[in-house]
Amino acid sequence: MNQFIRRGMLPMQGGVLSHRLFASLPPLTPSPLPSRREAHLWYVVPDELKDASQLKKYMELLSSCERERVLSMNGERLQKGALLSRALVRTTLARYCRVNPQSIKFKTSKFGKPEIMWQHGDQCNQPSLQFNVSHSSSLIACGITVDVPIGIDVEEKQRKTMSSISSLARRYFSPSEVEYLGSFSNTDARQKEFIKLWTLKEAYVKALGRGFSGAPFKDFTIRLEATKAMQLAAVPRVHIEADSDPEYLTDNWEFALFELSSSHYAAVCMERDISHSGRENEPLRLKVWKTIPFVEDEFVSGTNAVKYICGLS
Amino acid sequence: MASITGSAISFAAPALRRSQAVNKLSSLNSVSFFSARKSFPSIGSAPLRLQISCAAKKETLDKVCEIVKKQLALADGTAVTGESKFTELGADSLDTVEIVMGLEEAFEISVDEGSAQEIATVQDAADLIEQLVEAKA
Repeated sequence: MNQFIRRGMLPMQGGVLSHRLFASLPPLTPSPLPSRREAHLWYVVPDELKDASQLKKYMELLSSCERERVLSMNGERLQKGALLSRALVRTTLARYCRVNPQSIKFKTSKFGKPEIMWQHGDQCNQPSLQFNVSHSSSLIACGITVDVPIGIDVEEKQRKTMSSISSLARRYFSPSEVEYLGSFSNTDARQKEFIKLWTLKEAYVKALGRGFSGAPFKDFTIRLEATKAMQLAAVPRVHIEADSDPEYLTDNWEFALFELSSSHYAAVCMERDISHSGRENEPLRLKVWKTIPFVEDEFVSGTNAVKYICGLS
Repeated sequence: MASITGSAISFAAPALRRSQAVNKLSSLNSVSFFSARKSFPSIGSAPLRLQISCAAKKETLDKVCEIVKKQLALADGTAVTGESKFTELGADSLDTVEIVMGLEEAFEISVDEGSAQEIATVQDAADLIEQLVEAKA
Protein backbone atom coordinates (compact mmCIF):
# COMPACT_ATOMS: atom_id res chain seq x y z
CA MET A 1 0.00 0.00 0.00
CA ASN A 2 1.18 3.49 -0.70
CA GLN A 3 2.21 5.77 2.06
CA PHE A 4 -0.15 8.67 2.43
CA ILE A 5 -0.93 11.33 4.97
CA ARG A 6 -4.45 11.96 6.06
CA ARG A 7 -5.74 14.85 8.07
CA GLY A 8 -8.96 14.61 9.99
CA MET A 9 -11.72 15.47 7.58
CA LEU A 10 -14.81 13.61 8.66
CA PRO A 11 -17.01 14.55 11.57
CA MET A 12 -17.23 12.30 14.61
CA GLN A 13 -20.50 10.46 14.90
CA GLY A 14 -22.45 9.31 17.88
CA GLY A 15 -21.36 9.27 21.49
CA VAL A 16 -21.54 12.06 23.94
CA LEU A 17 -19.93 15.14 22.51
CA SER A 18 -18.35 17.61 24.84
CA HIS A 19 -18.94 20.98 23.29
CA ARG A 20 -15.69 22.35 24.59
CA LEU A 21 -13.74 19.41 23.24
CA PHE A 22 -15.42 19.48 19.86
CA ALA A 23 -14.72 23.15 19.50
CA SER A 24 -11.04 22.89 20.34
CA LEU A 25 -9.95 19.77 18.46
CA PRO A 26 -10.35 18.69 14.85
CA PRO A 27 -12.09 15.34 14.41
CA LEU A 28 -10.24 12.04 14.36
CA THR A 29 -10.24 10.22 11.08
CA PRO A 30 -12.42 7.15 11.50
CA SER A 31 -10.83 3.84 10.66
CA PRO A 32 -12.37 0.59 9.43
CA LEU A 33 -12.09 -2.26 11.91
CA PRO A 34 -9.30 -4.79 11.54
CA SER A 35 -10.40 -7.98 9.87
CA ARG A 36 -10.44 -11.18 11.86
CA ARG A 37 -6.81 -12.14 11.29
CA GLU A 38 -5.41 -8.67 11.34
CA ALA A 39 -3.82 -6.42 13.92
CA HIS A 40 -3.58 -2.65 13.69
CA LEU A 41 -0.84 -0.71 15.37
CA TRP A 42 -0.78 3.02 16.01
CA TYR A 43 2.30 4.67 17.41
CA VAL A 44 3.46 8.09 18.52
CA VAL A 45 6.98 9.44 18.96
CA PRO A 46 6.93 11.72 22.02
CA ASP A 47 9.94 13.77 20.95
CA GLU A 48 8.04 14.96 17.88
CA LEU A 49 5.37 16.49 20.07
CA LYS A 50 6.60 19.71 21.59
CA ASP A 51 3.46 21.82 21.42
CA ALA A 52 2.39 22.48 24.99
CA SER A 53 -1.11 23.51 23.95
CA GLN A 54 -1.52 20.22 22.08
CA LEU A 55 -0.47 18.33 25.20
CA LYS A 56 -2.97 20.34 27.22
CA LYS A 57 -5.71 19.27 24.82
CA TYR A 58 -4.73 15.64 25.25
CA MET A 59 -4.95 16.12 28.99
CA GLU A 60 -8.59 17.11 28.56
CA LEU A 61 -9.35 13.71 27.04
CA LEU A 62 -8.32 11.84 30.16
CA SER A 63 -10.45 10.80 33.10
CA SER A 64 -9.64 12.53 36.38
CA CYS A 65 -8.10 9.33 37.66
CA GLU A 66 -5.83 9.11 34.61
CA ARG A 67 -4.86 12.75 35.02
CA GLU A 68 -3.91 12.07 38.60
CA ARG A 69 -1.80 9.13 37.52
CA VAL A 70 -0.06 11.22 34.87
CA LEU A 71 0.77 13.96 37.35
CA SER A 72 2.08 11.47 39.88
CA MET A 73 4.81 10.37 37.46
CA ASN A 74 8.26 11.53 38.44
CA GLY A 75 9.31 14.42 36.24
CA GLU A 76 8.13 16.09 33.07
CA ARG A 77 9.42 13.50 30.63
CA LEU A 78 7.64 10.62 32.38
CA GLN A 79 4.49 12.71 32.75
CA LYS A 80 4.49 13.45 29.03
CA GLY A 81 4.96 9.75 28.25
CA ALA A 82 2.10 8.76 30.52
CA LEU A 83 -0.15 11.46 29.06
CA LEU A 84 0.58 10.44 25.49
CA SER A 85 0.03 6.81 26.36
CA ARG A 86 -3.49 7.46 27.60
CA ALA A 87 -4.23 9.91 24.80
CA LEU A 88 -3.05 7.35 22.25
CA VAL A 89 -5.28 4.60 23.66
CA ARG A 90 -8.34 6.83 23.80
CA THR A 91 -7.91 8.40 20.38
CA THR A 92 -7.06 5.10 18.72
CA LEU A 93 -10.13 3.36 20.12
CA ALA A 94 -12.25 6.37 19.22
CA ARG A 95 -11.26 5.99 15.57
CA TYR A 96 -12.81 2.54 15.45
CA CYS A 97 -15.79 3.22 17.69
CA ARG A 98 -16.73 6.64 16.32
CA VAL A 99 -17.14 8.03 19.80
CA ASN A 100 -15.69 10.91 21.74
CA PRO A 101 -12.32 9.69 23.04
CA GLN A 102 -13.10 11.28 26.36
CA SER A 103 -16.17 9.11 26.84
CA ILE A 104 -14.48 5.72 26.75
CA LYS A 105 -14.41 3.94 30.09
CA PHE A 106 -11.85 1.41 31.17
CA LYS A 107 -11.59 -1.31 33.73
CA THR A 108 -9.02 -3.90 34.61
CA SER A 109 -9.61 -7.62 34.33
CA LYS A 110 -9.23 -9.54 37.54
CA PHE A 111 -5.63 -10.13 36.57
CA GLY A 112 -4.90 -6.49 36.01
CA LYS A 113 -5.12 -6.27 32.21
CA PRO A 114 -6.74 -3.03 31.02
CA GLU A 115 -9.99 -3.51 29.08
CA ILE A 116 -12.71 -1.35 27.65
CA MET A 117 -15.79 -1.10 29.81
CA TRP A 118 -18.62 -1.04 27.32
CA GLN A 119 -21.56 1.16 28.11
CA HIS A 120 -25.10 0.30 27.18
CA GLY A 121 -25.74 1.32 23.62
CA ASP A 122 -22.09 1.54 22.62
CA GLN A 123 -21.62 0.90 18.94
CA CYS A 124 -18.45 -0.98 19.47
CA ASN A 125 -19.22 -3.93 21.65
CA GLN A 126 -20.03 -6.27 18.75
CA PRO A 127 -17.51 -7.35 17.56
CA SER A 128 -15.45 -6.46 20.59
CA LEU A 129 -12.31 -4.41 20.24
CA GLN A 130 -9.22 -5.62 22.02
CA PHE A 131 -6.22 -3.44 22.65
CA ASN A 132 -2.83 -3.41 24.28
CA VAL A 133 -0.33 -0.62 24.86
CA SER A 134 3.41 -0.57 25.20
CA HIS A 135 5.96 2.13 25.45
CA SER A 136 9.64 2.81 25.67
CA SER A 137 10.96 6.22 26.59
CA SER A 138 10.93 7.24 22.93
CA LEU A 139 7.93 5.50 21.37
CA ILE A 140 4.42 4.60 22.44
CA ALA A 141 2.34 2.03 20.57
CA CYS A 142 -1.21 0.77 20.77
CA GLY A 143 -2.27 -2.49 19.11
CA ILE A 144 -5.86 -3.22 18.13
CA THR A 145 -7.65 -6.41 17.16
CA VAL A 146 -11.24 -7.52 16.88
CA ASP A 147 -12.38 -10.32 19.18
CA VAL A 148 -9.01 -11.93 19.86
CA PRO A 149 -6.70 -10.98 22.71
CA ILE A 150 -3.60 -9.05 21.71
CA GLY A 151 -0.33 -8.28 23.45
CA ILE A 152 2.36 -5.95 22.15
CA ASP A 153 5.77 -4.85 23.29
CA VAL A 154 8.23 -2.28 21.99
CA GLU A 155 11.82 -1.83 23.10
CA GLU A 156 14.61 0.39 21.89
CA LYS A 157 16.99 -1.60 19.71
CA GLN A 158 19.95 -0.01 21.45
CA ARG A 159 18.62 -0.67 24.93
CA LYS A 160 21.48 -1.52 27.20
CA THR A 161 20.96 -3.57 30.30
CA MET A 162 22.75 -2.97 33.60
CA SER A 163 23.26 -6.70 34.05
CA SER A 164 24.88 -8.94 31.48
CA ILE A 165 22.65 -10.56 28.88
CA SER A 166 23.77 -14.01 29.94
CA SER A 167 22.94 -13.45 33.61
CA LEU A 168 19.53 -12.04 32.73
CA ALA A 169 18.84 -14.93 30.38
CA ARG A 170 19.96 -17.53 32.92
CA ARG A 171 17.74 -15.99 35.58
CA TYR A 172 14.61 -15.44 33.47
CA PHE A 173 14.65 -17.28 30.16
CA SER A 174 14.13 -20.96 29.36
CA PRO A 175 17.14 -23.25 28.94
CA SER A 176 16.83 -23.46 25.16
CA GLU A 177 16.62 -19.68 24.92
CA VAL A 178 19.73 -19.36 27.06
CA GLU A 179 21.46 -21.75 24.68
CA TYR A 180 20.20 -19.80 21.67
CA LEU A 181 21.52 -16.50 23.03
CA GLY A 182 24.79 -18.13 24.03
CA SER A 183 25.35 -19.11 20.40
CA PHE A 184 26.02 -15.44 19.57
CA SER A 185 29.64 -14.70 20.30
CA ASN A 186 29.34 -11.07 19.23
CA THR A 187 28.01 -9.17 22.25
CA ASP A 188 26.22 -6.61 20.12
CA ALA A 189 24.38 -9.31 18.20
CA ARG A 190 23.58 -11.13 21.43
CA GLN A 191 22.17 -7.95 22.95
CA LYS A 192 19.92 -7.43 19.91
CA GLU A 193 18.69 -11.02 19.98
CA PHE A 194 17.97 -10.67 23.68
CA ILE A 195 15.84 -7.58 23.05
CA LYS A 196 13.97 -9.30 20.21
CA LEU A 197 13.29 -12.33 22.34
CA TRP A 198 12.28 -10.12 25.23
CA THR A 199 9.68 -8.29 23.16
CA LEU A 200 8.24 -11.57 21.90
CA LYS A 201 7.99 -13.05 25.38
CA GLU A 202 6.59 -9.85 26.82
CA ALA A 203 3.98 -9.61 24.06
CA TYR A 204 2.90 -13.18 24.79
CA VAL A 205 2.55 -12.57 28.53
CA LYS A 206 0.57 -9.41 27.88
CA ALA A 207 -1.66 -11.20 25.39
CA LEU A 208 -2.40 -13.87 27.98
CA GLY A 209 -3.26 -11.05 30.36
CA ARG A 210 -2.33 -12.76 33.59
CA GLY A 211 0.69 -10.74 34.51
CA PHE A 212 4.25 -11.87 34.81
CA SER A 213 3.55 -14.44 37.51
CA GLY A 214 0.77 -16.00 35.42
CA ALA A 215 3.25 -16.79 32.70
CA PRO A 216 6.79 -16.84 34.09
CA PHE A 217 9.30 -16.30 31.35
CA LYS A 218 11.12 -19.49 32.26
CA ASP A 219 8.07 -21.63 31.62
CA PHE A 220 7.90 -21.09 27.89
CA THR A 221 10.23 -20.87 24.93
CA ILE A 222 9.77 -18.82 21.80
CA ARG A 223 11.69 -19.87 18.76
CA LEU A 224 11.51 -19.58 15.01
CA GLU A 225 10.08 -22.52 13.18
CA ALA A 226 9.49 -23.29 9.58
CA THR A 227 5.82 -23.22 8.76
CA LYS A 228 3.95 -26.24 7.49
CA ALA A 229 3.03 -24.40 4.32
CA MET A 230 5.74 -24.23 1.69
CA GLN A 231 7.03 -20.88 2.82
CA LEU A 232 10.65 -20.00 3.26
CA ALA A 233 10.11 -17.62 6.11
CA ALA A 234 10.02 -19.02 9.63
CA VAL A 235 7.54 -17.81 12.20
CA PRO A 236 7.98 -17.49 15.93
CA ARG A 237 6.17 -20.17 17.87
CA VAL A 238 5.71 -20.56 21.58
CA HIS A 239 6.43 -23.86 23.30
CA ILE A 240 5.47 -24.57 26.86
CA GLU A 241 8.31 -26.06 28.88
CA ALA A 242 7.73 -29.64 29.97
CA ASP A 243 8.08 -29.08 33.71
CA SER A 244 5.94 -25.98 33.94
CA ASP A 245 2.35 -25.72 35.09
CA PRO A 246 0.33 -25.70 31.86
CA GLU A 247 -2.83 -24.38 33.45
CA TYR A 248 -2.53 -20.85 32.15
CA LEU A 249 -0.04 -21.27 29.38
CA THR A 250 -1.47 -21.98 25.96
CA ASP A 251 0.31 -22.20 22.66
CA ASN A 252 -2.33 -21.19 20.10
CA TRP A 253 -0.76 -17.81 19.53
CA GLU A 254 0.70 -16.03 16.53
CA PHE A 255 3.59 -13.65 16.62
CA ALA A 256 5.03 -10.94 14.47
CA LEU A 257 8.40 -9.32 15.06
CA PHE A 258 9.51 -6.21 13.20
CA GLU A 259 11.62 -3.11 13.41
CA LEU A 260 9.59 0.00 14.04
CA SER A 261 10.59 3.56 13.19
CA SER A 262 14.20 2.35 12.70
CA SER A 263 14.73 2.63 16.42
CA HIS A 264 12.70 -0.14 18.01
CA TYR A 265 11.96 -3.81 17.95
CA ALA A 266 8.27 -4.49 18.20
CA ALA A 267 6.40 -7.71 18.80
CA VAL A 268 2.72 -8.39 18.35
CA CYS A 269 1.06 -11.52 19.72
CA MET A 270 -2.51 -12.49 18.97
CA GLU A 271 -4.58 -15.59 19.46
CA ARG A 272 -4.51 -17.93 16.53
CA ASP A 273 -7.69 -18.29 14.57
CA ILE A 274 -8.45 -21.99 14.58
CA SER A 275 -12.00 -21.59 13.34
CA HIS A 276 -10.85 -21.68 9.74
CA SER A 277 -8.98 -24.94 9.35
CA GLY A 278 -6.15 -24.99 6.89
CA ARG A 279 -5.43 -21.34 7.54
CA GLU A 280 -3.66 -21.83 10.86
CA ASN A 281 -0.32 -21.20 9.28
CA GLU A 282 -1.23 -18.00 7.55
CA PRO A 283 0.99 -15.36 9.05
CA LEU A 284 -0.41 -12.47 10.97
CA ARG A 285 -1.43 -9.43 8.91
CA LEU A 286 -0.44 -6.08 10.31
CA LYS A 287 -1.21 -2.48 9.44
CA VAL A 288 0.76 0.29 11.07
CA TRP A 289 0.11 4.00 11.39
CA LYS A 290 2.27 6.70 12.84
CA THR A 291 0.19 9.38 14.47
CA ILE A 292 0.08 12.69 16.23
CA PRO A 293 -3.57 12.49 17.29
CA PHE A 294 -5.72 15.25 15.82
CA VAL A 295 -2.74 16.57 13.89
CA GLU A 296 -1.42 14.00 11.49
CA ASP A 297 -1.83 10.31 10.62
CA GLU A 298 0.54 8.45 8.38
CA PHE A 299 0.06 4.92 7.11
CA VAL A 300 3.56 3.45 7.27
CA SER A 301 3.18 -0.25 6.43
CA GLY A 302 5.38 -1.06 3.48
CA THR A 303 7.75 1.81 4.23
CA ASN A 304 11.08 1.81 6.03
CA ALA A 305 9.25 2.57 9.25
CA VAL A 306 8.11 -1.04 9.43
CA LYS A 307 10.79 -3.61 8.64
CA TYR A 308 9.68 -7.18 8.79
CA ILE A 309 11.80 -9.63 10.76
CA CYS A 310 9.52 -12.63 11.01
CA GLY A 311 5.96 -13.75 11.34
CA LEU A 312 4.24 -11.18 9.14
CA SER A 313 2.61 -11.88 5.84
CA MET B 1 11.20 -7.08 65.11
CA ALA B 2 8.31 -9.45 64.56
CA SER B 3 7.44 -10.59 61.14
CA ILE B 4 4.72 -12.95 60.10
CA THR B 5 5.27 -15.33 57.27
CA GLY B 6 3.24 -18.27 56.15
CA SER B 7 -0.47 -18.49 55.62
CA ALA B 8 -1.71 -19.29 59.12
CA ILE B 9 -3.58 -16.01 59.36
CA SER B 10 -5.91 -15.04 56.56
CA PHE B 11 -5.17 -11.37 56.47
CA ALA B 12 -6.38 -9.32 53.57
CA ALA B 13 -3.26 -7.26 54.02
CA PRO B 14 -2.33 -6.59 50.41
CA ALA B 15 -5.79 -5.26 49.55
CA LEU B 16 -6.06 -3.08 52.64
CA ARG B 17 -2.70 -1.45 52.45
CA ARG B 18 -3.20 0.26 49.14
CA SER B 19 -5.73 2.88 48.32
CA GLN B 20 -8.10 1.82 45.57
CA ALA B 21 -8.43 4.20 42.68
CA VAL B 22 -11.94 4.54 41.28
CA ASN B 23 -11.00 3.53 37.78
CA LYS B 24 -8.34 0.92 38.27
CA LEU B 25 -5.73 0.94 35.60
CA SER B 26 -2.85 -1.35 35.20
CA SER B 27 0.31 0.70 35.16
CA LEU B 28 0.35 3.33 32.51
CA ASN B 29 3.31 1.89 30.75
CA SER B 30 1.79 -1.56 30.69
CA VAL B 31 4.34 -3.28 32.85
CA SER B 32 3.38 -6.89 32.83
CA PHE B 33 5.65 -7.71 35.75
CA PHE B 34 4.36 -5.48 38.50
CA SER B 35 0.60 -5.26 38.52
CA ALA B 36 -0.84 -2.13 40.07
CA ARG B 37 -2.96 -4.24 42.35
CA LYS B 38 -5.07 -7.35 42.25
CA SER B 39 -8.76 -7.10 43.00
CA PHE B 40 -8.55 -10.05 45.38
CA PRO B 41 -5.99 -10.95 48.02
CA SER B 42 -3.25 -13.02 46.55
CA ILE B 43 -3.19 -16.69 47.40
CA GLY B 44 -0.30 -19.06 47.40
CA SER B 45 3.16 -18.21 48.48
CA ALA B 46 3.00 -14.42 48.63
CA PRO B 47 4.11 -13.35 52.08
CA LEU B 48 1.50 -11.69 54.33
CA ARG B 49 2.29 -8.45 56.01
CA LEU B 50 0.91 -6.76 59.13
CA GLN B 51 -1.15 -3.64 58.65
CA ILE B 52 0.79 -1.98 61.44
CA SER B 53 4.09 -1.21 59.86
CA CYS B 54 6.95 -3.46 60.88
CA ALA B 55 9.09 -1.46 58.60
CA ALA B 56 12.25 -2.84 57.12
CA LYS B 57 15.54 -1.66 58.58
CA LYS B 58 16.72 1.65 57.28
CA GLU B 59 19.83 0.13 55.78
CA THR B 60 17.72 -2.31 53.76
CA LEU B 61 15.59 0.54 52.46
CA ASP B 62 18.66 2.61 51.63
CA LYS B 63 20.19 -0.27 49.72
CA VAL B 64 16.99 -0.80 47.74
CA CYS B 65 16.83 2.91 46.91
CA GLU B 66 20.41 2.77 45.73
CA ILE B 67 19.76 -0.19 43.43
CA VAL B 68 16.61 1.40 42.05
CA LYS B 69 18.29 4.76 41.39
CA LYS B 70 21.13 3.05 39.60
CA GLN B 71 18.89 0.85 37.43
CA LEU B 72 16.59 3.68 36.44
CA ALA B 73 19.48 6.12 35.99
CA LEU B 74 17.63 8.70 38.03
CA ALA B 75 18.97 12.22 38.21
CA ASP B 76 20.94 12.97 41.37
CA GLY B 77 18.31 15.16 42.95
CA THR B 78 15.50 12.62 42.47
CA ALA B 79 13.88 11.72 45.78
CA VAL B 80 13.41 8.00 46.17
CA THR B 81 11.69 7.00 49.39
CA GLY B 82 9.84 3.99 50.68
CA GLU B 83 6.65 5.39 49.25
CA SER B 84 8.01 5.77 45.74
CA LYS B 85 6.14 3.60 43.31
CA PHE B 86 8.19 1.79 40.72
CA THR B 87 5.76 2.69 37.96
CA GLU B 88 5.92 6.37 38.88
CA LEU B 89 9.70 6.26 38.72
CA GLY B 90 9.39 5.05 35.15
CA ALA B 91 10.39 1.42 35.62
CA ASP B 92 9.32 -0.74 32.73
CA SER B 93 9.24 -4.52 32.79
CA LEU B 94 12.88 -4.96 31.88
CA ASP B 95 13.94 -2.46 34.55
CA THR B 96 11.83 -4.36 37.01
CA VAL B 97 13.41 -7.74 36.37
CA GLU B 98 16.83 -6.14 36.56
CA ILE B 99 15.96 -4.54 39.87
CA VAL B 100 14.67 -7.83 41.25
CA MET B 101 17.81 -9.59 40.11
CA GLY B 102 19.94 -6.82 41.64
CA LEU B 103 18.11 -7.21 44.93
CA GLU B 104 18.52 -10.98 44.83
CA GLU B 105 22.25 -10.62 44.36
CA ALA B 106 22.68 -7.88 46.95
CA PHE B 107 20.74 -9.69 49.65
CA GLU B 108 21.41 -13.29 48.60
CA ILE B 109 17.74 -14.16 48.37
CA SER B 110 15.47 -15.65 45.77
CA VAL B 111 12.29 -13.85 44.78
CA ASP B 112 9.52 -15.81 43.08
CA GLU B 113 7.38 -14.14 40.39
CA GLY B 114 4.27 -14.17 42.55
CA SER B 115 5.93 -12.20 45.33
CA ALA B 116 7.61 -9.86 42.88
CA GLN B 117 4.31 -9.02 41.27
CA GLU B 118 2.98 -7.79 44.62
CA ILE B 119 5.66 -5.15 44.92
CA ALA B 120 4.39 -1.69 44.07
CA THR B 121 6.63 0.57 46.15
CA VAL B 122 10.22 0.65 47.29
CA GLN B 123 8.98 -0.08 50.80
CA ASP B 124 7.24 -3.23 49.56
CA ALA B 125 10.52 -4.41 48.11
CA ALA B 126 12.41 -3.70 51.35
CA ASP B 127 9.77 -5.48 53.42
CA LEU B 128 9.85 -8.52 51.17
CA ILE B 129 13.62 -8.63 51.32
CA GLU B 130 13.58 -8.56 55.11
CA GLN B 131 11.10 -11.41 55.24
CA LEU B 132 13.09 -13.52 52.81
CA VAL B 133 16.34 -12.80 54.63
CA GLU B 134 14.77 -13.74 57.95
CA ALA B 135 13.21 -16.88 56.52
CA LYS B 136 16.66 -17.90 55.34
CA ALA B 137 18.26 -17.39 58.77
